[in-house]
Amino acid sequence: MHFSYNWICELVDGLKSDPAELSRLITMKTAESEGTHSVGEHFRQVRAARVLTVEPIEGSKNRKAIVDAGDLGSKTVVCGAPNCRAGMVTAYVPSGAVLDGREIRKVRISGIESEGMLASGAELGLNRDQAGILELELEPAADLGCAPDTIIEIDNKSLTHRPDLWGHHGMAREVAAIAGRRLLDPVKLSCLPDGEAGIGISVEDANLCQRYSALVFENVSVKPSPLWLQYRLQAIGLNPINNIVDVTNYVMAELSQPMHAFDADKLRGSTIFVRNARGGERLHALNDESYQLNPSNLVIADASGPIALAGVIGGMDSAISPATTRFVLESACFHAGSVRKTSSSLRLRTDASMRFEKSQDANNTVRGLARAVELLREVSPGIRIAGGLADQKQELAGVPRIHLPLDWLNRKLGRRVDAPQVRSILESLEFGVEETEARAFLVSVPSWRSTKDISIKEDLVEEVGRMIGYDSIAPVPPALPASVPPPNPERAFHHELRQLVAAQGFDEVYNYSFLSEDVVRQFSLAVEEHAAVANPIAADQSLLRMSLVPGIWKNIVENSKYSDSFRLFEIGREIHKQPGGLPNEITHVAAAVYSRGSSSADHLFELKALALSLDGRLAVTGTEARPYEHPKRTAALRLQGREVGRLFELHPSLLKHGRAAILDLDVDTLYSLRAETRRYRPIRRFPASGFDLSVVAGAREPAGVVQNHLQELAGPELETVEFVREFTLPDGRRSLSYKVTVAAPDRTLSSEEVGRMRSEMIEGLRAKGYELRV
Amino acid sequence: MPTLDELAEQTLHRIHSAPDAETLEAVRVEVLGRKGSLAQLSKTMAQLSAEERASVGRTLNAAKQALESALDARKVQFESEQMALQLEAEWVDLTLPAPGPRPGRLHPITQIQEEIEQLFLSMGFTVLDGPEVETEFNNFDALNIPPDHPARDMQDTFWLGPGQLLRTHTSPVQIRGMKKLGPPLRMIAPGRVFRNEEVDASHEHTFYQLEGMMIDRDVSIANLIYFMKTLLSAVFQREVTVRLRPGYFPFVEPGFELDIQCLICGGPGCPVCKQSGWVELLPCGLVHPNVLKMAGIDPEVWNGFAFGLGLTRLVMMRYGIDDIRWLQSGDLRFVKQF
Repeated sequence: MHFSYNWICELVDGLKSDPAELSRLITMKTAESEGTHSVGEHFRQVRAARVLTVEPIEGSKNRKAIVDAGDLGSKTVVCGAPNCRAGMVTAYVPSGAVLDGREIRKVRISGIESEGMLASGAELGLNRDQAGILELELEPAADLGCAPDTIIEIDNKSLTHRPDLWGHHGMAREVAAIAGRRLLDPVKLSCLPDGEAGIGISVEDANLCQRYSALVFENVSVKPSPLWLQYRLQAIGLNPINNIVDVTNYVMAELSQPMHAFDADKLRGSTIFVRNARGGERLHALNDESYQLNPSNLVIADASGPIALAGVIGGMDSAISPATTRFVLESACFHAGSVRKTSSSLRLRTDASMRFEKSQDANNTVRGLARAVELLREVSPGIRIAGGLADQKQELAGVPRIHLPLDWLNRKLGRRVDAPQVRSILESLEFGVEETEARAFLVSVPSWRSTKDISIKEDLVEEVGRMIGYDSIAPVPPALPASVPPPNPERAFHHELRQLVAAQGFDEVYNYSFLSEDVVRQFSLAVEEHAAVANPIAADQSLLRMSLVPGIWKNIVENSKYSDSFRLFEIGREIHKQPGGLPNEITHVAAAVYSRGSSSADHLFELKALALSLDGRLAVTGTEARPYEHPKRTAALRLQGREVGRLFELHPSLLKHGRAAILDLDVDTLYSLRAETRRYRPIRRFPASGFDLSVVAGAREPAGVVQNHLQELAGPELETVEFVREFTLPDGRRSLSYKVTVAAPDRTLSSEEVGRMRSEMIEGLRAKGYELRV
Repeated sequence: MPTLDELAEQTLHRIHSAPDAETLEAVRVEVLGRKGSLAQLSKTMAQLSAEERASVGRTLNAAKQALESALDARKVQFESEQMALQLEAEWVDLTLPAPGPRPGRLHPITQIQEEIEQLFLSMGFTVLDGPEVETEFNNFDALNIPPDHPARDMQDTFWLGPGQLLRTHTSPVQIRGMKKLGPPLRMIAPGRVFRNEEVDASHEHTFYQLEGMMIDRDVSIANLIYFMKTLLSAVFQREVTVRLRPGYFPFVEPGFELDIQCLICGGPGCPVCKQSGWVELLPCGLVHPNVLKMAGIDPEVWNGFAFGLGLTRLVMMRYGIDDIRWLQSGDLRFVKQF
């Protein structure tokens, strides 16, 4: 929302602060100002000037004009505007003036020296008319009646809760309270006519339209607004259209009351209906779009159908046109939620809908009309009001009252504010204050604050707090009991994991939670099993990841462009759709080793070591490879019988150059199965004994299987089975050597006992079909 | 047979002239061994009188000790020469690179997040987690943002389906935390959040926040200011000046925007603070009574403050990162810098 400094000054008696100071004060006490910019500086130099002569310039579509610029004398300018003609009065910009950041200089154009320029409304920042130079009804040398101004830009987000601040009068009230000045009211309710309503109003559901007020005007002349009015609207970003529409926008920008004017001669019947749209109804709107309506849309209708979307936009068929002589002026209060729903479902946000969705004050409708009457008399001389005020309203809510205990207020603020100061702050914002008991006020909330913003005493803490200035509150340490916070061991586990993985050479990356369908298919994952975003930012970011691996793969591809070998990892959540309820979010760690040259299995063993450093009990077991895994270089990682991860080389077809191994572990399961607190076992007092066994296994029989057999066959005295070495026999089979260590807790085992254990193991292995190399 | 003096003199000469440890050992065996020359000499003592025996014995012992210490000295000399040769041969060029991977780097958001978690743990806060996919109720309704409330526009939302969305802020963890732990309560909740926004150098659809909340009896704005000042001074490792100004967030009342005095210029104004001297840092406020009620807490007994710290923004400020997209680029040239 853009605010005109001059406009605010007109509404605050004797305001002294300059625009920059005002911008700062509004930021500190009311709403965030994003800055200021000045407009119309050039109006210090621009004059009305009469065009004396116009002659063509050979070889150019420009013409040479001599103008009478009053006190500046006569000037020669080159002008390209088609409407430039002798006798007209237009706007002359002398050289040296700055228009839109560009200095106007004496220059030769088409061989003629031009001393300044004749300007269009758009060039002067009065409107958006670029078709020709301004046509004025002024005497030469007259001032255009537009003064330089400063625009204060307020962040709309910080006005979300303040329907009253969507107009200059509301902001002026804040400024008056901040500056300790008197607020001036531009509204004269006496402008409203008495008598029987000029038009019938029928409101179907009073909840959706709390109040509908209207006046009918006749003897209207539709034409451009006076310059001051166009300038004021243009300066705050509203588009001047014609005098009637401009008045509705001016009142909206001043009083925060959206209005709409319907050409009365285009309406069928003599009643305005406020009702829900009926199925199949359409509206050709002022933006030249045609909207298909449904019963959730509140419309304004005449006897034949919708003429406007209530609180959002008017219809083209009843728009004010140069031919209009009578019109109906609507000033209503529509239900915030209904307007918002319609505006967002049609993707149509307008100046009106933005205001209505903040919950407007129903008391404001007639104030808007009264202000409009006064302005219309100025911009359309001879205009008459036909009939009296039409005003259909629901019982208006009474003034809410809030009990405000002053000691409680001081405790919330954390500083003392005296009762008279609290009273004066609230009264400056037009709250009613009564002292009904000692150290407590009964505070009545003004109607423009009570629609949504203020209903409880906490809301008043803010009113007092912001006006005394939060910088007047000194920091105070809270009085709190010392206590140990409840632990979050799971998060501590994640942190430990991160540290361990990073310490082993892996750099941490963060990837998005979104995947494209293409990537999911590339990894042969099922698209339909993924949770999907209904309104993705781009079509290729619609699915929520069920695996970190595609993201890691992309990291590998990207980084391999800059680096021949690297290690990286991510800890993040997989999101698994569940029938009913929220998806299951499972934290995973995925780590990768990449190098360009080698196809050796070293990467896999490095990741195996990493996995074991995270939990030494992890068992590596054979498994069916998934499509993105190397079919002969993939293993499942199991803990207490549950699969908790995968260790694999990325399928070589997924990389142009080089190989990558990936470890993918379910951190949540790893956490839930983490080792319990360790207990001390006495150190063995008697020496252990050991012997070696060399087992001949099939060419591709996993050593892990052989080792499991050894462990099962050994008796209770087994301490450890350690792999020593392997080599391949001429026939392709593998000889696997192990060192078996045995011991008893209470004695040294005799060599006979050890020999017997060894023989039993050998026999057991033979029984399972293994050959031994003894 | 040589006399003791002759034997001693000859042996000393041989000890000193022995070329290596083996020769030296041979000399020791020949002279001082059990069947060595000295032993032979001492055998002759048996023929002497007791008086003479005592005197010769002393001379013999003295000679033996002298020879032994000469032997030891020579032996140590050989050993140290040997050691010196070995050391010389074992020269290593330690300026060669060490093998194996260097430790990896943690993502800068991880680093700042852990740092802030530690800080809050030390102030008695617990760390909570919440899901990235949330219910509409926890993300909006329970935070006093009912359907059709214009505040929903402040956070463009990714919807999964009716009532399910990607959380737009970490604030739903307030609701989860209050329901789980009840008052009094001190908690933070860091995590990933999502907004349906076009990505450019300063906007991301995925970023990180850290929610904080304290519920107790009579928590005041003065307490909030104290806490924020303490927290931010620790985060920036210097005394910071903060200011509160009104800000609208439906789940707090009053609500504030907290600014810190620009750390670059210290107040007079510079490009970083857009000449204002202040940098907007975090939204905060006293918890709205409706939010407490939604979580089953009586607002007449308990109240508190809440704040939302933008971790992504903080990382960018701390390291002077000019493009938010680096943070989730997965580019190791970026990550390795931290």
